Amino acid sequence: MAAPTRPSAQQPSEPSVDPAAEGATVEGVPGAQAAAVPGAPADVEQVAAGGSAARDTWRAFRRQPLGVLSLGVLGVLVAVAVLAPVLADYPSGTGSSVLAPPSAQHWFGTDNLGRDVFAQVVWGSRSSLLVAAGASALAIVLGTAVAVAGAWWPRLDALVGLVVDLVLSLPVLPLMILVAALVGPRTTTIVLVIAAFSWPEVTRVVRSLALTVVRLPYMDAARLLTPSATWIITRHLLPAVTPVVVVSVVLTASRAVLSAAGLAFLGLGDPRSWSWGRVLFEAQQAGAMSSAWWLTLFPSLAILALVLAATLASIAFNDARDPRSRVRR
Amino acid sequence: MSRGSRAAAAVVAAAALALTACAPSAPEGEGSGDGGATGSGVGPLVVATTTDVVNFNPLIGNSRTDSWVTDLMYPRLLHINEDGEKEAALATDWGYSDDLTGYFEIRDDMSWSDGEPITAEDVAWTLQSVLDDQPAGTLLGQMGAVESVEAVSDTRVELHLSEPDAVVVPEVGFWAVVVPQHVFEPEGSLADFANDAPQADGSWVSAGPYALTEVQRGQSYTMERVEDYPLADDGAPNASEVVFRVYPDVNTELLALESGEVDLVANALPPSQVERLQSADGIEVAEVPGLGYAHLVYNMDEPRLAQVDVRRALAAAVDYDTIREVVLQGQAVSAGSNPLIPVLSQFAPEDAEEYAFDPQAARDLMASAGVDDTSFRLLYNLTDPVMAQAAQLMEEQAAEAGITLELDGRERNAYLAATDAGDYDVYLGNFAIMDDPVTNFRLSYLPGGVINYTHVDDPDLTALVEEAGRQLEVADQVPVMQEAAEIVKDQVYDNIMYTQNLYIAHSDEWSGFVVQPSELLSVVNPVSLANATTAG
Repeated sequence: MAAPTRPSAQQPSEPSVDPAAEGATVEGVPGAQAAAVPGAPADVEQVAAGGSAARDTWRAFRRQPLGVLSLGVLGVLVAVAVLAPVLADYPSGTGSSVLAPPSAQHWFGTDNLGRDVFAQVVWGSRSSLLVAAGASALAIVLGTAVAVAGAWWPRLDALVGLVVDLVLSLPVLPLMILVAALVGPRTTTIVLVIAAFSWPEVTRVVRSLALTVVRLPYMDAARLLTPSATWIITRHLLPAVTPVVVVSVVLTASRAVLSAAGLAFLGLGDPRSWSWGRVLFEAQQAGAMSSAWWLTLFPSLAILALVLAATLASIAFNDARDPRSRVRR
Repeated sequence: MSRGSRAAAAVVAAAALALTACAPSAPEGEGSGDGGATGSGVGPLVVATTTDVVNFNPLIGNSRTDSWVTDLMYPRLLHINEDGEKEAALATDWGYSDDLTGYFEIRDDMSWSDGEPITAEDVAWTLQSVLDDQPAGTLLGQMGAVESVEAVSDTRVELHLSEPDAVVVPEVGFWAVVVPQHVFEPEGSLADFANDAPQADGSWVSAGPYALTEVQRGQSYTMERVEDYPLADDGAPNASEVVFRVYPDVNTELLALESGEVDLVANALPPSQVERLQSADGIEVAEVPGLGYAHLVYNMDEPRLAQVDVRRALAAAVDYDTIREVVLQGQAVSAGSNPLIPVLSQFAPEDAEEYAFDPQAARDLMASAGVDDTSFRLLYNLTDPVMAQAAQLMEEQAAEAGITLELDGRERNAYLAATDAGDYDVYLGNFAIMDDPVTNFRLSYLPGGVINYTHVDDPDLTALVEEAGRQLEVADQVPVMQEAAEIVKDQVYDNIMYTQNLYIAHSDEWSGFVVQPSELLSVVNPVSLANATTAG
């Protein structure tokens, strides 16, 4: 396989991928050295090296108040989702006070059937986070696999580039609406639909880094050691792109929440489970948006909190894993 | 024919007002019609709607906005008044001259906006073209017994029937919209003519109180008053213009009404907003009786649902009172589980008793039917807020009876397609206008009927419905129809839940609206908009 072996002289001309490539060296090179001596010691050394890089990143991350705060917000949201049954009764049935503003009894007010909006937001976090996790996991796996395959097999890369550009140029929302409407609004459908239109973003980011990494000297060294593409990809290429993947996970997840809320607001959410988008949709359907502000404010705040925290946390992580920005601080 | 006075609809309306338990603002049907102001100085009436006009040809399947706009352009032979009775419009007299001949006598004082008089020829050509070209729409379904239509004089149209049919004349009279032959005939098939381009002078040839002069897609439809409209109290419309303005949804419509940007919201109010707007400053809420119903239908093609006990069990697993009280805020009238709904006062039995909500009885019935799998898929339109919320409550109520209702809410078009394909166990939906019970029973309960969603084929029921259609006098139809309705109710071929009362909000500066039943007519009908005024 004629892998391109362009020297690292190219690096200064590509400042955008430079820090990432450097990050890759931190984790990737020890692995390449260890490859000379297959067996247990290599694993130990790799884990140790990886561990110390992770420790450095974590230390740097902790020094960023916004990052820590965002992580805290994300933690609270996950806790709310997990503890939903403890925090509130499942919103069902009907209540006597219809469209009541927030009060001590109903912290977030009630909707047009007299149901507690607080309970809806709390239980809504479950399906919203589930969609976020499911859709981003699928998108990440697919997106990374395609990106790495394209980077490793140059002939495939032209096709990958074409498909990614094609999918990225599609009008995503109308297509999501079409698919969700045809297949029927189910949580699994929503997850699949969002994942199907999110993976190219991941591929684009991962591919640009992977293309740089495969040209680095240590990859050539690995090729000399083994003919196994699988081994090199899993041991060297994937670890090298892991940091961007982590950032992508968070961003894709937050975008998935927005997409899911958008679909639910258009009436294409799963009618059998609560989500933040569904609370907004029902408020709109009831014609209560202008008169009952609490119906729209609280689910919107929840969406804002999740998306903002995810974005800030990923920015903070990106800074923290970059050794040069660590030095600057 | 369908004349004669009825008071039950008024009783129904009064009962609904009592239920809402708040300051009633009765629709100002009459009373404010002072003779003086003949249009001079009455500004434009701005009406909010949520969709564009898709079709300017009134004979092709219509959305609500299409109907509201084209009803102001093209006359109907008959109108339906607040009590659900047919009344004269373009036609002044109608009926049967013998068993196989129906007739309409039409006014001689109406003309198209280009000066051509409206004659029986226009009416006959419109009806005959519907028979020949078969445009998709409700009208064709009402004309099954009509073989041909002819104009026997300038003002008399005759319908030649293949068999005696008691309901064809009033039904065709209401559903037919008369179009100008001299404009439509050169355009070829009625089924394909979009009628979306004006004449050379920039307007459409029409014969309503207002003439369409300007179309801005996605924004507004401007209609100017005509000089002469005999159906208006003063012989001419009052407002200088009627402008339909398009808004994204009911929330923005209500904001526009409250800010004074529009004078009338054509779409019925969501139930939860009625009380608030009734007490809002500057806004009046008109009550419009419903002329249709919401119902549950059990698909008998599904083997379990072919058993009457299973259908009875499902009917006992719905808490109808709660749905009416909570989802509809009490703005609905129980139909007593009878397809002869109370608004059809001549037909409705007085003591119709609703299926009782009884989870234990439902369990017993399900057990006696020997059905172990008590999971059923419920199809509904999830963009209809009332149906969507009712479905959620039904799911929880059925669970009390050990029945799983699997919610299958779909976006409108997917829902309509699934309905046509019979892709459901239980169907939840509603009809806006069920003005004639005989026609309704034919379409709903005869094998092959277009809205026979139960897929019922019961020879006894079929015989009764056909028998009723042969009775030319309403009084003779009633006992037959009541017997048929009893079968439907006893066998749970159709589970009629309620008729919803509708509320329309408008600025209190405007008065003189004339209420007609259903959201399609409500206060946006041509007579109402012609009589509306800011004076007095």
